[in-house]
Amino acid sequence: MTPLHDDIMTFLMHKGVAGATATRGYSGFGAHQALHTPKIEVAAEHLPIRIEFVDTAEKVDEVLPTLYELVTDGLIEVQDTTVVKVAREDAAGEPTAAHERVAGPAKLLRVFLGEADQWHGEPLYDAIVKKLRMMEIAGATVYRGILGYGAKGHEHKRSFWHPMRDLPVMISVVDTADKIEEATEAIEAMLTDGLIVTSDVEMVRMVRGMEKADGTGPAR
Amino acid sequence: MAPDRPAKLLRIHISERDRYQGKPLYEALVDLCRELKISGATVFRGLEGFGETAGLHRPQLVGSDQPVVVTIVDSAENVARMALAAEGMMGTGMMAISEVRARRVEKQAG
Repeated sequence: MTPLHDDIMTFLMHKGVAGATATRGYSGFGAHQALHTPKIEVAAEHLPIRIEFVDTAEKVDEVLPTLYELVTDGLIEVQDTTVVKVAREDAAGEPTAAHERVAGPAKLLRVFLGEADQWHGEPLYDAIVKKLRMMEIAGATVYRGILGYGAKGHEHKRSFWHPMRDLPVMISVVDTADKIEEATEAIEAMLTDGLIVTSDVEMVRMVRGMEKADGTGPAR
Repeated sequence: MAPDRPAKLLRIHISERDRYQGKPLYEALVDLCRELKISGATVFRGLEGFGETAGLHRPQLVGSDQPVVVTIVDSAENVARMALAAEGMMGTGMMAISEVRARRVEKQAG
């Protein structure tokens, strides 16, 4: 007789659930008020076990009835969650499979802001780049200007007394039109004072997935 | 949300060593932008490059000669006025204008 958690894991795997993790608790107690601890060597298999997986609502609905049957003693919990990032190693295959090439019409986005602009205690340009990475934008570059002024008319200039006062910064981003549209909305929500400029460009070549090849590929 | 409006982006490529009436040309150009009430200007310094004279602009021990780009975004009329005025101040250099859509973001801080 296999342990129940093995059966559940096997079942989830057969159902094609994206991934599941079984973790063993260190100690705990449940409905019987019996303490499960590893202190008694023999009772090691009585330690609490928790199996967790994240998948689409449909998939969860699909497997839930069976889990309900399988688990005669325990707790099943379903929680709404937002998947922020799914990162997986590319399956080993032909080397070309790791590269995704895109060429064609695209958009170039330029955001003008100040170096001193802040977002929840960190530089705004940093926060924007992080946000873009999370949105899986193809790439972004931050440029620091040496002189400039914005619509407010205040000058961005490095002076002897204030060497790092507030130089102008430009972030440039290239991606497909809909990704740039998404990026623009996200950036506009974070920007308090600045200029967002988009233009049409022709993407000649974009290679994704170079990290595996040389470890120094473009930031995702 | 402010809507995007059509605008022009002007880039003026010059050398950091270029001067106009005793001050760096890029500074003179930014001052000119102010005079012409251009909504904003940003100067970027490149690492190295070459242009019309085919001389390589790169950092030197004495007198930096790195390429510099002055970038402005404004309406077509303002950009045209600026380009015309800038031309008179420049020796060698290059100006490029491209079509863009601009969205000005201005929120009250906090």
